[in-house]
Amino acid sequence: MELKESSLYTATTPWFESYRETFLQSMPASDHEFLNHYLACMLVASSGEAEPMEQFSKLSQEQHRIQHNSDYSYPKWFIPNTLKYYVLLHDVTSGDEQRAESIYEEMKQKYGTQGCYLLKINSRAPNRASDEQIPDPWSQYLQKNSIQHQESYEDGPCTMTSNKNSDSNLLSLDGLDNEIKVDGLPNSFRVHPLQLDQCGDPPNTDGSDHTKSASVRENKKASTGVIRGACLTLTDHDRIRQFIQEFTFRGLLPHIEKTIRQLNDQEMAAVSAFLQPGAPRPYPAHYMDTAIQTYRDICKNMVLAERCVLLSAEILKSQSKYSEAAALLIRLTSEDSDLRSALLLEQAAHCFINMKSPMVRKYAFHMILAGHRFSKAGQKKHALRCYCQAMQVYKGKGWSLAEDHINFTIGRQSYTLRQLDNAVSAFRHILINESKQSAAQQGAFLREYLYVYKNVNQLSPDGPLPQLPLPYINSSATRVFFGHDRRPADGEKQAATHISLDQEYDSESSQQWRELEEHVVAVANKGIIPSSFYPTQYCLNSYSDNSRFPLAVVEEPITVEVAFRNPLKVPLLLSDLSLLWKFQPKDVNGKDIERARERARLKLFPHHIGELHILGVVYNLGTIQGSVTVDGIGALPGCHTGKHSLSMSVRGRQDLEIQGPRLNNTKEEKTSVKYGPDRRLDPVVTEEMPLLEVFFIHFPTGLLCGEIRKAYVEFVNVSKCPLTGLKVVSKRPEFFTFGVNTAALTPLSPSTSENCSAYKTVVTGSPSAGTALVSSASSVDFGTSTGQQLEAIPVPLPDSVLLPGASVQLPMWLRGPDEEGVHEINFLFYYESVKKQPKRRHRILRHTAVICTSRSLNVRATVCRSNSLEDEEGRGGNMLVFVDVENTNTSEAGVKEFHMVQVSSSSKHWQLHKSVNISENKDAKLASREKGKFCFKAVRCKQNEAAVQSSEKYTFADIIFGNEQIISSASPCADFFYRSLSSELKKPQDLLSAHTEKHGAEEAVRLIQKCSEVDLNLVILWKAYVVEDNKQLILEGQHHVVLRTVGKEAFSQSQKQADVDVIVDLRHKTTSPEALDTHGSFTWLGQTQYKLQLRSEESRSLQLKACFVHTGVYNLGTPRVFAKLSDQVTEFETSQQNSMPALIIINNA
Amino acid sequence: TMSGSFYFVIVGHHDNPVFEMEFLPPGKAESKDDHRHLNQFIAHAALDLVDENMWLSNNIKDCALIFSHMRFIMLHDVRQEDGIKNFFTDVYDLYIK
Repeated sequence: MELKESSLYTATTPWFESYRETFLQSMPASDHEFLNHYLACMLVASSGEAEPMEQFSKLSQEQHRIQHNSDYSYPKWFIPNTLKYYVLLHDVTSGDEQRAESIYEEMKQKYGTQGCYLLKINSRAPNRASDEQIPDPWSQYLQKNSIQHQESYEDGPCTMTSNKNSDSNLLSLDGLDNEIKVDGLPNSFRVHPLQLDQCGDPPNTDGSDHTKSASVRENKKASTGVIRGACLTLTDHDRIRQFIQEFTFRGLLPHIEKTIRQLNDQEMAAVSAFLQPGAPRPYPAHYMDTAIQTYRDICKNMVLAERCVLLSAEILKSQSKYSEAAALLIRLTSEDSDLRSALLLEQAAHCFINMKSPMVRKYAFHMILAGHRFSKAGQKKHALRCYCQAMQVYKGKGWSLAEDHINFTIGRQSYTLRQLDNAVSAFRHILINESKQSAAQQGAFLREYLYVYKNVNQLSPDGPLPQLPLPYINSSATRVFFGHDRRPADGEKQAATHISLDQEYDSESSQQWRELEEHVVAVANKGIIPSSFYPTQYCLNSYSDNSRFPLAVVEEPITVEVAFRNPLKVPLLLSDLSLLWKFQPKDVNGKDIERARERARLKLFPHHIGELHILGVVYNLGTIQGSVTVDGIGALPGCHTGKHSLSMSVRGRQDLEIQGPRLNNTKEEKTSVKYGPDRRLDPVVTEEMPLLEVFFIHFPTGLLCGEIRKAYVEFVNVSKCPLTGLKVVSKRPEFFTFGVNTAALTPLSPSTSENCSAYKTVVTGSPSAGTALVSSASSVDFGTSTGQQLEAIPVPLPDSVLLPGASVQLPMWLRGPDEEGVHEINFLFYYESVKKQPKRRHRILRHTAVICTSRSLNVRATVCRSNSLEDEEGRGGNMLVFVDVENTNTSEAGVKEFHMVQVSSSSKHWQLHKSVNISENKDAKLASREKGKFCFKAVRCKQNEAAVQSSEKYTFADIIFGNEQIISSASPCADFFYRSLSSELKKPQDLLSAHTEKHGAEEAVRLIQKCSEVDLNLVILWKAYVVEDNKQLILEGQHHVVLRTVGKEAFSQSQKQADVDVIVDLRHKTTSPEALDTHGSFTWLGQTQYKLQLRSEESRSLQLKACFVHTGVYNLGTPRVFAKLSDQVTEFETSQQNSMPALIIINNA
Repeated sequence: TMSGSFYFVIVGHHDNPVFEMEFLPPGKAESKDDHRHLNQFIAHAALDLVDENMWLSNNIKDCALIFSHMRFIMLHDVRQEDGIKNFFTDVYDLYIK
């Protein structure tokens, strides 16, 4: 049984034994029975006595007188014929042994061998200095006697002086007397009249004896500390033992045996039956039961009943009848005595656990009951012990109400016993145990806990703050943020979103940011990511890599967010919350709280470099004042309800310990459970680093697809270090540009640029009659030379350094993405310190722009060879470019109409030459849903120019429809053109490589394809007239079409790529009038329904067979074709039926 | 038509309460908080008897069913043999489902 091994379980209950003994001893002897009645009387005389034999007969007479004279109601004698045992006590050191022996001979003759004894003791002189240490043989009895004496003065007759023995001899008698009684029949508590040391009138003693006895008594009283038995040797001890045996077995027992059989008292009979070893019949427990019942119910004598129970229980226990013993003990418990009930219940509990198969739960239950009664009896220590022992059984099983009750009692009792630590821990258990109590109850428990806790704290006000159990802290949800809070938007200025604790963790986006950072770091390090690189983590949480010490920067705040949870139904009031930290040198200021639900954010400002360790939080824990009234529980002494609870708040701490991820790499780690470190809370404070803040001015939230908008970006260095190497990287480089050589182009400040075109424009005197104005530019200048995957765009800082405190505003052009919808565009700004730092080379700043685009124009273009049109210079190879522009705007954005303002070409080999008017749409206006068609003549670039051009040189030709030319070869038009080109180039490369892998048989096809290849890129520039808030705005924009193959249509935006499920149904007889026109019908053969899936731009052909019975004209266009997008449910019938009828004429064979 | 108070608990393998339920007479809206723990004490102590397959008859009566060492215990302060028997049958049926 685990309980038995536990330290709290006590197998022995000495307090109960002592109670039992005291109880039995203090019981008055009753008339109806013979317990505490004397069986025998020992008459002792010293061998030093002048006439020992005479003394014996004197004593014998005295005994007789006491027993039979009615003057004495006490002591009680068992039988009239009391056994008298004559003992001659001989002092070995001083007495004459021969004389003693002769007297003894005389005694034997007179009283019989079995009725007398010669006891020789005191074999040495009382030499205190002797090294020989023999334990005081009387000590254990003397102690009891001294208790007896205190109370025995009041009553009882007086002592009969026995003899003139020395003090020690007399005492020896006293002790032996007791020893006899120990085995079985306890002695009376009352004073024995034969006892020496009693006051009063000894009725039949001479004066000298009287005075002597009195003086002896006083002597004894005065010398309670005297070592007794100092004259005894080991031999003496043996002699005494022998004497006792002799007396018991030769004298007492035969005597009792002779007399006891005459008695028929049931209790006595039962006891004696038990006492008789090897009795033929079993212990008659029912005798006892009847006796108890009679005592209790008929005699109403609880004392006798109790004695009977105590005896019987001991007997039953010795026979392993624990269940019966427990039942007996429990039956005696009653309302009238808490102490008795408590003791009995505890004994019953012990019975339950001592059973062959221990009844642990009944043990626990009765311990609780016992504890309760102890507590009522004012026995706090016993109560506490009982509850603690019971707790062993209930602990952790889920009987939470019971557990709470026990803990509460333990807490209270511990408190009143000033065991404050135990009290605190007991109350703490109630609070952290996912309490099922009502709110009012929880509130009461909480206040009680706080009160006790406060008392503990007051004991050691300067000690370390103890741990508080509430509220719970979800350590792993702790988040740490390095850096300043984001500034709120200031008018038109909008700060970069960067990172904040308000953003939820998103693994996808954090992966994206990591890729961006890796990329920009690679660019900054000539294409190689340094081995020391690891991604910057401004916000550490349970998802981040916390295996290394994070870097904090001196003079930049560290924010720690602690996640609290209150398991109780009552509110907890936290105040003066601050972080607990350890830092090697000097001062760091812990500061204030900002509470968001159950989360608290605490800031630290490191002022020195070094290693910081955030250890935990310190706070005052209190209750909300006056919320709940204290109910039936009652308060602790001194803890009065009401006003007291108002100020109930204690200061304590909780540690923040975060377990790292489970390690699972090595075999050892896999087989054992090991956790890696989590260093979230151990930042290394490094030297100052530059700190960049970025603001966006006039940054739009909504754009038309293709719209160009000019915004400004402000870069501010808020640190004390200059910064350099500023770059920005994004997965959507086609979205923005800082332009090239912009200084000369446009006003630099945002205020002066309002109402200006985003483009670089030139006013032409008169419309150029549709003839192209030609310029050229190199893609290298626009940083998009090689069509690299991702670009790191350098921010054109003046002198490429931003000094401390300096700020610069740069224009940034944006182009609305071609797809309509919401776009989240991530910018990652990268910068370095001018001074190279060993720990961290660079810093980053994030911004996420959210742009909503709406549909504007859709442009389709084809190019075809033109042989009819002659080049002015007579060279062949002219081409016609057809451009269809459709206004697809749904006018939700308030767009009234689009105006085409310019179409430009950009190519290494071709250029637009002039406009060919094929439509009447002279002013090129497009209202909603209108389409416009344009036709241009394209020619090869001038040969000589082309020769000197590097392969990256592009010729730009602008055909303008108004009187203002947008310089397409300059920023921002060219920037966006090149970016769209490079993103466009990414796609077909895959296609081409796929082609080349095919075998040589298709080489011819490749050649033919080569012939029809063309690289003509169109930029369609437009203005949109928008009415917004009753004001007319003009928006500008550009679309790009990349023409690569003669005769193949190209689009301004990639067509939707989707799989289509197609059903071709032949069975369906059409009921259209055309069908009726044909003569007769025909039959499709074979499969009549086909299901197929078409990938984007895939074409499939089906072979259908039909059987015609008659001659005639038939329409084969009867199959119905249904199609739907694979990821959608709705099916659409294609407009196949409306196409031309497929007629077939069947002639006679 | 229950007039007395009832407390029903299903006790699991480790002497842990798996399910607890108090039934109170319609008049008494809420049982006294300071007595609720007594139900647990009694039910828990009764486990020793249940495990001995015994029935205890007292002021408060315990009934129990043992099934795959899940023990159902009901404490009640009024005598209502049939009702409790039916209740146990229902609970048992539900449990084995």
